[in-house]
Amino acid sequence: MVLELAKPRPIWQIMFSTHHTDVGLLYTIMSIAFFFLGGALALGIRAELFLPGSQIIGDSMTFNRMFTVHGTTLIFLFLLPFASAVGNYFVPIMVRYKDMAYPKLNAIAFWMIPPGGALIWLGFADFSWYATPPYSAISAPGPAADMWIFGLKILGVSSVLGSINFVVTILKCKHPDLPLSKVPLLAWSFLSSSLIVLVAIPSFAAALVMLLTDRLGVTGFFDPAKGGDPIAYQHLFWFTFHPEVYVLVIPAIGMMYEIIPRFSRRPIFSQSSGIFAFVVLSIVGFSSWAHHMYATGMSFTEKTVFMVGTLAAAPASAMHVFNFIATMWGARMRFATPMMWSVGGIALFFSAGAGGVANAAMPFDFITHDSYWVVGHFHLFVMGTIAFGSIGFLYYMFPYITGRMYNETMGKIHFIMSFIGTVMVFFTQHVLGLYGMPRRVFDYMPLPEYIIMNQITSVGAMIIGASMALWLFNMLYSSAKGKEANMDDPWGLGGKYYYPHQAKTPHH
Amino acid sequence: MARAIVLMSILTVLVILPMIHLVFAEPAEAGQYINRKAEIWNLFFKMMTIAFTVGAVVSGTLIWVVWRFRESHPKAKPTKYEEKGEW
Amino acid sequence: MSGHSNWPEWIYVAVVICLLTYVGAEAWNVERIVEHTPAEAEVIKVTGQQWFWTFEHEDGTKEVGELHLKKGKPYKFEITAKDVNHSFNIHDYVVLQDAIVGRLNTVWFAPDKAGEYTIQCREYCGLLHYNMRATLYVEE
Repeated sequence: MVLELAKPRPIWQIMFSTHHTDVGLLYTIMSIAFFFLGGALALGIRAELFLPGSQIIGDSMTFNRMFTVHGTTLIFLFLLPFASAVGNYFVPIMVRYKDMAYPKLNAIAFWMIPPGGALIWLGFADFSWYATPPYSAISAPGPAADMWIFGLKILGVSSVLGSINFVVTILKCKHPDLPLSKVPLLAWSFLSSSLIVLVAIPSFAAALVMLLTDRLGVTGFFDPAKGGDPIAYQHLFWFTFHPEVYVLVIPAIGMMYEIIPRFSRRPIFSQSSGIFAFVVLSIVGFSSWAHHMYATGMSFTEKTVFMVGTLAAAPASAMHVFNFIATMWGARMRFATPMMWSVGGIALFFSAGAGGVANAAMPFDFITHDSYWVVGHFHLFVMGTIAFGSIGFLYYMFPYITGRMYNETMGKIHFIMSFIGTVMVFFTQHVLGLYGMPRRVFDYMPLPEYIIMNQITSVGAMIIGASMALWLFNMLYSSAKGKEANMDDPWGLGGKYYYPHQAKTPHH
Repeated sequence: MARAIVLMSILTVLVILPMIHLVFAEPAEAGQYINRKAEIWNLFFKMMTIAFTVGAVVSGTLIWVVWRFRESHPKAKPTKYEEKGEW
Repeated sequence: MSGHSNWPEWIYVAVVICLLTYVGAEAWNVERIVEHTPAEAEVIKVTGQQWFWTFEHEDGTKEVGELHLKKGKPYKFEITAKDVNHSFNIHDYVVLQDAIVGRLNTVWFAPDKAGEYTIQCREYCGLLHYNMRATLYVEE
């Protein structure tokens, strides 16, 4: 991190650079921009659902388009690129190499994201981020749907290119004196998530092409009228996107593995169990995809197999929680903003995981399937764990990127408001699901329980929204006018900040 | 290690066998239809009992750790890694 | 291992595995009980299409948007869809099964209380998905 903002350079120099920290900066800025765009859609959705009936969004089609683009944006244009941002900054340093293995490929992978994002936002498709046929094949209005398909195609290729780069950088460009077992856990998290991407993405890539040709009327892979099978799409989709959950969550856990020991003033409790849990998670993650499809008419045997496969992922996740708590045990922790986000993320990670174990129990699916329970559950992962880890990590990188310190008080207020908001929104949504409210609805029945819980949820969402606005202000203001950071020890912990510190010096 | 394996197998026998017994020794349904709603919600409440118990233990531990090992705690003392400033 | 004992962690993992095994066994057992359809259950053919439900009784009578059933009798739903996927759901009786085009999914239940219940669509199916409801009347 060559103090990108402190020593101003012409913008084209950063844009056309292939250096890993420059690409990392581009990834950071773009992913945060999309975070705010996607978040704004979420606030619109919550405002609409504050009361039954139509509030601010005139028709259900607009609403359907909004939740589709909300989900697609935050997964593919915020979470994944933000992980790549962190990987770009840190992986080469952690394996002691001068850059990523293929710097030009790295820049290409980044520059594929803006056109992908533009296609998704300009199209504004309506078939939810699952794009399940037959709806997506015969009923979803084009050209929005086709633009979405092309956008995702581009983002998928970008993700594969980025992953190849990470895998090669870590395995082939690693310094010969550095054994793989000593590579820091943050870099390990990128190795495991990149390997998952390489195995998982092709099946969705194939499904997208099949969906497109189905839409063009050339084929009928998923159209029963032409002898196709809509369930086949769901298998192909979930074979990619259940493992993708781990692609998102593993780097976030890796980020916590960098922050928690740093602010605990102790090394990580067990490097080897962290590695073990990453590897197990990335293998077992492939055995559970069809638990999303219990309700599609699976047999008892199939359901049992996927339930066992799902439960098998829990011990590895539990090992991470153990590792974090054991690291903090006997520590002397400083609760600066990054640490608060990480610890909050761990707490919510546990809640999300417990809900996940409950979800795996197949009869329970009759209650929760496609209800707000599911919405609450996976948002605890994507918002409560992954976004929390990512936001904390951005605070952690902030002084090294800008050379200035963010405002600590504002950072803490940001955390507290977001934590309260997250609990209000997503725990309430679990209960809403138990009361049977379906997800992806523009309007709901005016039952008193529905109304009160939707209002709690909407208020919580506004609290998150306000805290994020504060965050944006903090970042913009502090990067221009903030106090100069003490680059050797921005948080006054007294230790050495190996990785971010080395990123400062151009030739590490 | 050997002792652990023996211990684990004894535990397995003690837990798993009665369960299998319980499952398969169920008498045939006597005319009355099972109450689907009750069966599934019972399972839900059992799982929530487990989840909230485990949750109380885990979050309790986390909260205690965060409270006890913060640097402003009266009994906080430097970790042994702080001397060298390396961790 | 980095020089210290990892026993606590392995014991913890063992406890987690035991709990998961219990959850799995319990869930398996309930699913087995719930899926066992009584042979005498009356078949109701359910068809979902954008954006309403059609029901056909065994005697051939058809109902649209409402379904009349008798209390205490078992019913087996044979669910399918005409245009796009839907999901047939009577939340109060924990009945839920996707309506998939070209497939026949089944789920059964025996209503035990007379009254009116909401039938809704749980799978996103387009413009009026939010309003794709029907009413179940359980009669004495």
